[in-house]
Amino acid sequence: MRSHRVSLGGAALALVLALSASPLVAAESGTPDTAKRIKVAMVPKLVGLSVFKANEDGAKAEAAKLNIDFLYTGPVTASAQGQVDAFNSLIARKFDVITTTSNNPTQLAPSLMRAMKAGIKVVAYDSDVAPAARDFFIQNTAYPAFGKALVESVIKYAGPNAKIAILSSTPDATIQNEWIGAVKTYLAATYPKVEIVATEYGQSSPSQSLTAGLNILQAHPDVTGIIAPDGAAVVGAAAAIEKLGKTGKVFTTGASNPDAVRQYVKSGVIKETPLWDEVKEGQLVMYVARLAANGALKDNDTFTAPGLGTYEVKDKVIVFSEPLIFDASNIDQYKF
Amino acid sequence: MDMRAPANANAVTPRNRRRLPVGGWELALTGLLAAVVVGFGAAAPGFYTGPASLLGLTENFLPFGLVALGLSLVILTGGIDLSVGAVASLSAVLAAQLWSRFGVDIWAAAAVGVALGGVLGLVNAGVILRLGIEPLIATLGTSFLYGSAAVAAAGAEPPSGFPGGFTALGTGTVDGVLPASLAGLVPIQLVVFAAFAVLFSALVARSPFGRVLVMVGYSPDAARYSGIRTGRVLVTAYAVSGAMASLAGLVLASYYDAVRPDMGDVLLLTAITMVVLGGVSIFGGEGTVAGVVVSVLVLGFLRQGMLIAGFSDMVTTMLTGAILLASIAVKNLFNRRGTGLANQIWAMIRRPEPPRANPS
Amino acid sequence: MSAAAARSPAASRPSWRERRELVLVAVTAASAGVVGLVNPGFLTFENLRFVALNSVVLSIVALGQTLVIAMRGIDLSVAPLMGLSAMVCGLLAQSHGLPLWGAVGIALALGLALGTLNGVLVAALNIPPIITTLGTYSLFGGLTFLYSDGTQVDQVPPAYAAFGNAGPLGLPVPTPVLVLVLVTAACWFALNHSRFGRAVLAVGNNAAAAYNAGLRVTAIRIQVYALSGLLACFSGLVFVCYTGSATVTTGTGDHVELQSIAVALVGGTLIAGGRANVVGTVLASLFLSTVLTALVFLQVPPIWYSAGEGLMILVAVRGGTRRAGGTA
Repeated sequence: MRSHRVSLGGAALALVLALSASPLVAAESGTPDTAKRIKVAMVPKLVGLSVFKANEDGAKAEAAKLNIDFLYTGPVTASAQGQVDAFNSLIARKFDVITTTSNNPTQLAPSLMRAMKAGIKVVAYDSDVAPAARDFFIQNTAYPAFGKALVESVIKYAGPNAKIAILSSTPDATIQNEWIGAVKTYLAATYPKVEIVATEYGQSSPSQSLTAGLNILQAHPDVTGIIAPDGAAVVGAAAAIEKLGKTGKVFTTGASNPDAVRQYVKSGVIKETPLWDEVKEGQLVMYVARLAANGALKDNDTFTAPGLGTYEVKDKVIVFSEPLIFDASNIDQYKF
Repeated sequence: MDMRAPANANAVTPRNRRRLPVGGWELALTGLLAAVVVGFGAAAPGFYTGPASLLGLTENFLPFGLVALGLSLVILTGGIDLSVGAVASLSAVLAAQLWSRFGVDIWAAAAVGVALGGVLGLVNAGVILRLGIEPLIATLGTSFLYGSAAVAAAGAEPPSGFPGGFTALGTGTVDGVLPASLAGLVPIQLVVFAAFAVLFSALVARSPFGRVLVMVGYSPDAARYSGIRTGRVLVTAYAVSGAMASLAGLVLASYYDAVRPDMGDVLLLTAITMVVLGGVSIFGGEGTVAGVVVSVLVLGFLRQGMLIAGFSDMVTTMLTGAILLASIAVKNLFNRRGTGLANQIWAMIRRPEPPRANPS
Repeated sequence: MSAAAARSPAASRPSWRERRELVLVAVTAASAGVVGLVNPGFLTFENLRFVALNSVVLSIVALGQTLVIAMRGIDLSVAPLMGLSAMVCGLLAQSHGLPLWGAVGIALALGLALGTLNGVLVAALNIPPIITTLGTYSLFGGLTFLYSDGTQVDQVPPAYAAFGNAGPLGLPVPTPVLVLVLVTAACWFALNHSRFGRAVLAVGNNAAAAYNAGLRVTAIRIQVYALSGLLACFSGLVFVCYTGSATVTTGTGDHVELQSIAVALVGGTLIAGGRANVVGTVLASLFLSTVLTALVFLQVPPIWYSAGEGLMILVAVRGGTRRAGGTA
């Protein structure tokens, strides 16, 4: 029923576009209609992590171009309760669009659905919410592609017979579990001799990740690779390798912003580590927010964002980019 | 409780003779509540957009209130229950798994969850009484155990998407029972909270159990000498606290339409703040449920109002901390229970002779 | 060190107290031995070095907590204080090249100032310790957030990393472990062999009596909270040197406040005040580090780690309570 309404809206829009003069048609392919000032909020899992701050930097810059009142707000700890508090206040303050990366796909859903009922557009990015609770989702990278990138950036150096360990955030972290699933699938298909000997969790805490990393290496001396698909986990794993003097013997990779792992990439603990350009992703989030507020984006659509590229909307999901692999040669080009 | 300030032992006179007029603290809190609601209503657009929206705001904080009600019984006995967050998580996760894995009716599963909370409270009481471990450390230990169990029970994909009737508990309004003009106005959560508030208030203020509860907190030795079975009182208090924490966990599960093994973690510190701001002495033996109820509303509306006014989560939390400190400092100033600087000055103003320590 | 404690001349020391340290040493050694049988990698020098190093940050916080509890108080604000100090020192080092000695000065000053604030609230304004430090928990956590402005510490200058990991003058024992030994010795001396320590225990035992005996109870309490703040902030500096990172949730996210209380009590300090065991606190922290590492070597699923911690607390405190003859 909802999609019915949306497609009607889309049809109406197409009609308007068809009847209108060329400037509006140009707006469709180039800059969107920015006549009306709108209020858009960005609610990260928690404020105080550099990756989300990088999203904010990009979003802020883009918001200025798109006539958007931009607000960055969220909880201090990664709690669903804190995010719901933020949503509730944004609903009361009549924001036009809420963009968010969720701590938990299901717990946020009721509050976001209330927002949608109040006419607010919801754009999820990074970590998805339940599909019924958002208008669009911007996925960082496709899961299989990221799983492959994680595996290749370790196995290339540890070898196809390596024993590896996984260091994740928490047992129920959605996106990490998707990536780990993709890693296992890719390993089984491409490197069947690789064995995963341990799976530990660092609770997204740098100190707990470090301890977990040390423990993995001490308890399993034959491990030569650690796949740590979490910002805190890869830093912990890399620090553990360095502290034990195993640089060059054990390789790790993960999902971290370049600032956090720069020293380890330079010292060779991390040969390659995949992520995506968080600043640009923040820009795209604002661009999609503007289109959504204008009602100018359909569930299946394509659009071109100036300076970002052309994107395909498939069943409300937009894949942001291929994995971006950081290594010693390119990491200094990225500062976030 | 254990962190008893030495000042307590220095109380000049029996407390009950020198108390403020009955309800003074509660009245002050009620005034504060009115100020908060009216202030934000006037100053923060979006805070008040009709009675339904104002009452609807309570859905965002009443689970904290349910925990605070149960916790207030424990604190009245002079104990503390640090495991409420883990109990809420574990009960909600297990109830959700009963429903999702074993096909148990969601309401039956919820009832099992609340019962389980009571049992976990009994375990706490058992650890405290049988093993002779201080409540603070006993419930700290069990909270680690319950928390681990919750993580284990939740697995990688905790259940979500409960039947509509159950989600109404957290987000629905009472319709049908009330006059039609009130349809869509009163949240079910508010009715549940009000019912327990009245029940607990009557229990503490009007029942023999309440008198015994307060007496155990005021002076456990005196209570024991007068033939009260203090153990039984403590067991009841901890069991009730556990059951109320579970209820809060289930309301949260309904509100979020999902469970998570750490969902109860946020409850503990706020709930303690609510109880203490409500006028219950952290040393036990003093306080009213009415005060706790008003304090729940004050802190809840304050937080919602600040968020709507555009303050960040952190600033809101900081202000809550500051209010807690300021209010207890003011309260200390006026009820004259100690040797602290403010009390001494106050005592000198009131009565030239400095207070003398008199441990009995 | 436990032998030295046993011979200390301070008065009214019950017999269980000496045994507490021996018990902890024995239990830690036995656990290590058993795990070593299953997985010999546990008993390598390298691993044991990390078991010790991992316990340092918590030990330093817990030493302050021990003093506070000895005085019948409690300090929940140690966790955000540790995080605040880690954030302030780390950010200044990361973006402004603050030298290490400057960071030490800032951490100590910060701890002293905010710890004194706790002390004033508790002792002069007479707010119960648990409520005071619950309130300042929010305040100090907020300061960390406001100061960080949403960023985090990712890397620290080499001097910091060297201080946090390597040994001085090429010694195989890391600097933090040596620092911990010094801090422990200082706390042990202060508590057991100084007028200050006797006053702290007297206040913890019976504040009214201490007051009547002419002790300046208010001043002593302020000093102890200041010390606890100082140690918490110093541990934050050690943390940022050791891990090279600090976030808004450093300290609070790992529940350092609860862990520090737990190891202090497991170490033999009585929550009712009046008795403290400085060496026991450090040994308990070492025991905790041993157990948590051992669980990995024994391949226990990670979800049960915190249950292990909870059991350890209950069992160990149970032992202490029985020997002390205490009841709830």
